Amino acid sequence: MQSMLTKFESKSSRAKGIAFHPKRPWILVSLHTSTIQLWDYRMGTLIDRFEEHDGPVRGIDFHRTQPLFVSGGDDYKIKVWSYQTRRCLFTLNGHLDYVRTVFFHHELPWILSSSDDQTIRIWNWQNRSLICTMTGHNHYTMCAQFHPKEDLIVSASLDQSVRVWDISGLRKKHSAPTSMTFEDQMARANSNQADMFGNTDAVVKFVLEGHDRGVNWVSFHPTLPLIISAGDDRNVKLWRMSETKAWEVDTCRGHFQNSSACLFHPHQDLILSVGEDKTIRVWDLNKRTAVQSFKRENDRFWVIAAHPEINLFAAGHDNGVMVFKLERERPAYAIHQNNLFFINKEKHVRSFDFTQNIQSPSMLSLKKLGAPWVPPRTLSYNPAERSILVTSPTDGGTYELINLPKDASGAVEPTDTKRGTGNSAVFVARNRFAVFNSSSQTIDIKDLSNSTTKTIKTPTNINDIYFGGTGCLLLCAPSNVILYDIQQKKTVAELAVSGVKYVVWSNDGLHAALLSKHNVTIVTKTLEQVSSLHETIRIKSATWDDVGVLLYSTLNHIKYTLLNGDNGIIRTLDETIYLTKVKGRSLFCLDRQAKPKLLNIDPTEYRFKLALVKRNYDEMLSIIKTSNLVGQSIISYLQKKGYPEIALQFVQDPQTRFELAIECGNLEVAVEMAKELDRPKLWTRLSAEALSQGNHQVVEMAYQKLRSFDKLSFLYLVTGDTEKLNRMAKIAEHRNDYTARFQNAIYLGDVETRIQMLKEIDLYPLAYVTAKAHGLNEECEAILEASGLTEEDIKIPEISAPISPSRAIAPTHQKNWPLRAASQSFFEKALLGQVESMTIEDEATPSGMNGFGMDDDADEGKKFNGDFLGVEGEEDAAGWDMGDDDLNLEQADELAVETDGTGVGMSEAELWARNSPIAADHVAAGSFETAMQLLNRQVGAVNFEPLKPRFMEIYQASKTYLPATVGLPPLANYVRRTVEETDSRKILPAIPRDLESVRTNDLQKGFAAMKANNLEEGVKIFRGVLHNLILTAVQNKSEIEEAKKIIRTATEYIIAMSIELERRSIATDESQVKRNLELSAYFTKPTLELPHRQIALMSAMKLAYTKKNHVLAAHFASRVLANNSQGKNAENARKIKAVSERSGQDAIEIEYDQFAEFDICAASYTPIYSGQPFVQDPFTGAKYHPRYKGSICRVSQVTEIGAPASGLRLLTQ
Amino acid sequence: MDPFSSEGELLTIHNAFHGGQYSAVIDHDSSALSAENSIPARVYKLRSQIASGQAEEVAAELEGEDSPDLAVLKAFAEYSQGNTNDALKTIESLVESSSDNATLQIIGATVLHAEGRSEEALSLLSKHQGSLEAVALIVQIRLSQNRTDLALKEVQNAKRWAQDSLLVNLAESWVGLRIGGEKYQQAYYVYEELAQAPSTSTPRTLIGQAVAELHLGRLPEAEVALQQALEKNPKHEDALANMIVLSILAGKEFDEYLSSLKNVAPSHPFLTDIAQKSELFDKAAAKYTAKVGA
Repeated sequence: MQSMLTKFESKSSRAKGIAFHPKRPWILVSLHTSTIQLWDYRMGTLIDRFEEHDGPVRGIDFHRTQPLFVSGGDDYKIKVWSYQTRRCLFTLNGHLDYVRTVFFHHELPWILSSSDDQTIRIWNWQNRSLICTMTGHNHYTMCAQFHPKEDLIVSASLDQSVRVWDISGLRKKHSAPTSMTFEDQMARANSNQADMFGNTDAVVKFVLEGHDRGVNWVSFHPTLPLIISAGDDRNVKLWRMSETKAWEVDTCRGHFQNSSACLFHPHQDLILSVGEDKTIRVWDLNKRTAVQSFKRENDRFWVIAAHPEINLFAAGHDNGVMVFKLERERPAYAIHQNNLFFINKEKHVRSFDFTQNIQSPSMLSLKKLGAPWVPPRTLSYNPAERSILVTSPTDGGTYELINLPKDASGAVEPTDTKRGTGNSAVFVARNRFAVFNSSSQTIDIKDLSNSTTKTIKTPTNINDIYFGGTGCLLLCAPSNVILYDIQQKKTVAELAVSGVKYVVWSNDGLHAALLSKHNVTIVTKTLEQVSSLHETIRIKSATWDDVGVLLYSTLNHIKYTLLNGDNGIIRTLDETIYLTKVKGRSLFCLDRQAKPKLLNIDPTEYRFKLALVKRNYDEMLSIIKTSNLVGQSIISYLQKKGYPEIALQFVQDPQTRFELAIECGNLEVAVEMAKELDRPKLWTRLSAEALSQGNHQVVEMAYQKLRSFDKLSFLYLVTGDTEKLNRMAKIAEHRNDYTARFQNAIYLGDVETRIQMLKEIDLYPLAYVTAKAHGLNEECEAILEASGLTEEDIKIPEISAPISPSRAIAPTHQKNWPLRAASQSFFEKALLGQVESMTIEDEATPSGMNGFGMDDDADEGKKFNGDFLGVEGEEDAAGWDMGDDDLNLEQADELAVETDGTGVGMSEAELWARNSPIAADHVAAGSFETAMQLLNRQVGAVNFEPLKPRFMEIYQASKTYLPATVGLPPLANYVRRTVEETDSRKILPAIPRDLESVRTNDLQKGFAAMKANNLEEGVKIFRGVLHNLILTAVQNKSEIEEAKKIIRTATEYIIAMSIELERRSIATDESQVKRNLELSAYFTKPTLELPHRQIALMSAMKLAYTKKNHVLAAHFASRVLANNSQGKNAENARKIKAVSERSGQDAIEIEYDQFAEFDICAASYTPIYSGQPFVQDPFTGAKYHPRYKGSICRVSQVTEIGAPASGLRLLTQ
Repeated sequence: MDPFSSEGELLTIHNAFHGGQYSAVIDHDSSALSAENSIPARVYKLRSQIASGQAEEVAAELEGEDSPDLAVLKAFAEYSQGNTNDALKTIESLVESSSDNATLQIIGATVLHAEGRSEEALSLLSKHQGSLEAVALIVQIRLSQNRTDLALKEVQNAKRWAQDSLLVNLAESWVGLRIGGEKYQQAYYVYEELAQAPSTSTPRTLIGQAVAELHLGRLPEAEVALQQALEKNPKHEDALANMIVLSILAGKEFDEYLSSLKNVAPSHPFLTDIAQKSELFDKAAAKYTAKVGA
């Protein structure tokens, strides 16, 4: 017997009644002591107590939708309560003995009660009246319940019977009168026998007899026509009913004391019963066999209740209640890269692809794993072997090692299963797994054949094991976690974290999250704690974002935590889920039915915080710009983290903005906000901040606003602003503020004013002294005169030289003082668009066509990529004969290596050379001679010097160096392009820079060089392409075609560019005007991509026009227009064409016949007219006048013109 | 009991040595070892010292030692310093006198093989008695002779009696990297397991992982592993050599690595090989000329 999963337990007196709240995590418990308790079983707290009954309370029920509950007690009373107002609303009196059970109807405003007065009553709680009394039982009725859907009631009584009552009459009576037709009335009158009181509202439909003693409890099945009853005969009986009759199906025997209550499992084919024998028993509904039983030491069970929605039960016993689950609801699952492997409720193994959001069909059925009704506990996946390890708690813990089928073809039973006992089993390496045995506290390391290779005694008592990085295990002990090296059999690290239940590794394997009931601890792979956080609500699961954010789920929230421990809520949850993967805004999870689900989340907040932590301002900026991230929490977060300047970006409220601006020293904003709010307090603070920054202009403004004249005066003094100081003096005069006047006068050194002022306020002695001190004798006289004194009357102390105020040396008032280092962050600058890297627009593409004297249409260049593949390859295939060549390389059938005996074998390089007729493969094999021989025969290569870099490149990349035995040189291994191949006759070397890379890199570079008018560079690049392709290997025939096309393209470009380069070398030579014109005309001849051909044509057109070859110019203009009749170039062309056609004459006769077919000789750049003899280069296919036969191809610089050749081989077959 | 078995006290030092954690070997506290194991432990320590470039110190330390274990190590230390002739002579005479000494077999065979006398090395090694190191060495010699078939046989034999040993796993991976196909992946798993476990992550194991990935065509992953190896030891010659190979295959610049390799190990096989091939190219290319001069 495994332990039941107890979620909550309360201590109290005997619990006689229990009711679950349908939505909230609440449970009502009615006690033998007359108390009714309301518990939050999730938090484990007592919410309320209701004490109005007198004596034991046995019946209790929540209303499904209203904030009501009902109770019935031994005081014969039924009470209806509001849990909101926490008061009893009213009492229903009528029963004449103990009330045993009370239940609300699921939709009608009815309460059903059963009582020891042998009646069952139905009450209307809206008008608080008794509407029906059912008599018939002739002993206490112990229990009465409504049918969940139909108009039926089932009751149990100590008279040993169970009765089913039809209450359709009652419903009809209490619903609208029109609903009953005459026929209905007739039918009812005929079918229903009135009871002894002539009452047809509720009539007995069936009387079920079978129990030998009184029946304590009875209930309906939620969907099937089944009834379950429990009685003092210790039996639990199952009954079935049809429209017309009901009968006993079977009896579940097992309780060895009175069975006090029973019910059907709401979702599974199970029966649960409790009894005074202190057991809870679980039965299989279909087989009526015992599945599980749970025994308490001292407490008799009295009642059991099931939660209507979730998989939760509660049982009341002598000392309280327990809330429990029958089984773990956490589905067994494992995640590997983009796949989730899980076991669903049918015990089928399935996978789920995160990238495509697709669930696979069932791959395996694990029906036989463990016991029925016991779901598997864990799943561990081995990608190397594509096998799974599944554990089940059955029989004290078992595991099975099963290979997954290649394709998911349905729920097949696994064939090759290896099993054993153990509580946990995880893969620790490709070919090893660890099995933990809790009772013996040992860990067995097993290989894939399930034999133990090593046994480890755990260093301390542990609960569970988890993968701990390669070769290591994480051992979860009750109060710590241990990182254990399997190989060395020793503890690598230890961390005190209590009660760790699950371990979730980050995608990069650098961090792990240790989940315990209420804590998340993030550790590094070496078990150093990074951060830890506490949750009051139970933590269920976690998954890592790719950027190092942990998302975790509690019972009711999805939250996140950064590595530094900053956390927050992402969203609330209605039901418990198990997070499996997060990708952008998509959060994947499994629900309790083990179905994959996709939730949408808003990652903005944590992305933002992460960006902040990583100081990734670009990302922060884009988040601020693109999402509406606001709210007090983020502001206070930013403030707390010391980023007021960033918080400033989010805030609208002026007061807050002001505070933040002051905090980050952003005076501009602060001034703005202060102006808006205009409160003295703010100005004071602003002035202080501005002063400390040295921004005295702001200080001045603040002082002005504050009308703090003294300070202003002083400010003007120190900044040397005499003008304003004078004005201050005037203002002081206006204000009649003598102190201020005096002060200003001192600041200004204005003695007259001072004396004047002193006189005004009748302080003549002071005025006199002042005048005297400054040597103003006339003034002294005047004062004496005015006061009627003579000099002799006055005794004044010795007066030293008058003090004049020091003057500001520099007139700093014109400008601000040097400001304190600007606190403007990168971030703000970015917001203001001052950082160059932040600008989104690309640099203007350089218009490199200046050499051609025209602008390129940007579109044309872009079209390019697409056009290339569509180019018609119209070349001579002669050089590409794919037929067998006449190489004398023998194809040995048997390989010497296969034979036994000692001696030295053939190296792989030699095999390559033997396996392939491709020159590149011979190069890779280091067999340069044969490679050259091959190239010579295939394409007439004679000048190998230009190919040397390519030779060395290929050869250098052919081997890797694996350090093996210490002290010896590394082992060379040969890099193959045939990665899957092991047949030594088919293996071939990897050739670097394949066709794909030529196409996507070099070729585009060449085109770019053409566009940028960088012709020398372009020739080099295209020649590089040729040298690359002469030594390459391809995968299939279509690639051969492509390679040919690229060779042809490169050749055409080289010829074209060379012609243009030749022309430029003579362009300024007046004597060569004819040649100049000819070359520009020939430049239009090679097959170039359309935009490039336009370049050639435009150039030829312009040159012809300027040289007054109007016929020719018109010809090129027409060709330009034929290619593209829109845009600036076309405009130009049209004009030139119009002008030229009017003239209709060529000034200089050149050798270019626009109507004749001809090619250009790649050496002399002269026409080879059709029909004239020519020779070709076997590799590039470039044509030459016959006189060039035997010389080196001007295009490839490798091959010999006109040499006999069999054609380049790029494919082995 | 086999001292190298999973229960043995030499396992840690043995694994550390073959994983390339020389400093761990040198620092290993061997005072608690039993008498019979103290000599092998010392041998490992001395070999680690030689491998980490302290051959001179070792030679000095062993001056005058005449037990075969230490004498051959002294010879090896001298050999490592370039004093090949004397060392060879010493070793030859030791082979004559006590060819059943395990240390002598390993060191002797290593030197003989390095001298190109592989068959002699093999015959010396054939006398080993359940020494995994000897097996590994035989495998390597066979592989360098391109006798993958014989190397494979050797590994398969050894697996019968030492399935779980690090050395056998490594030797199997060496062979696997020659065979290719699925074996690449298996070799990868072995090295990855070592390279990613913090206790056994060394440049050697990381290079192993990178090489396997490279053969599997997974270039970006291989690059990451090599970067890690170079982080641990920026002068690791094999890491540099493989980095060059990888860079070429990935079409990236590699001049930096090439110049550091030239600095660190001018005689690395990679460099000697390409120098030789460069010459070969010039010689071979000289045979061809165009009929008509350009």
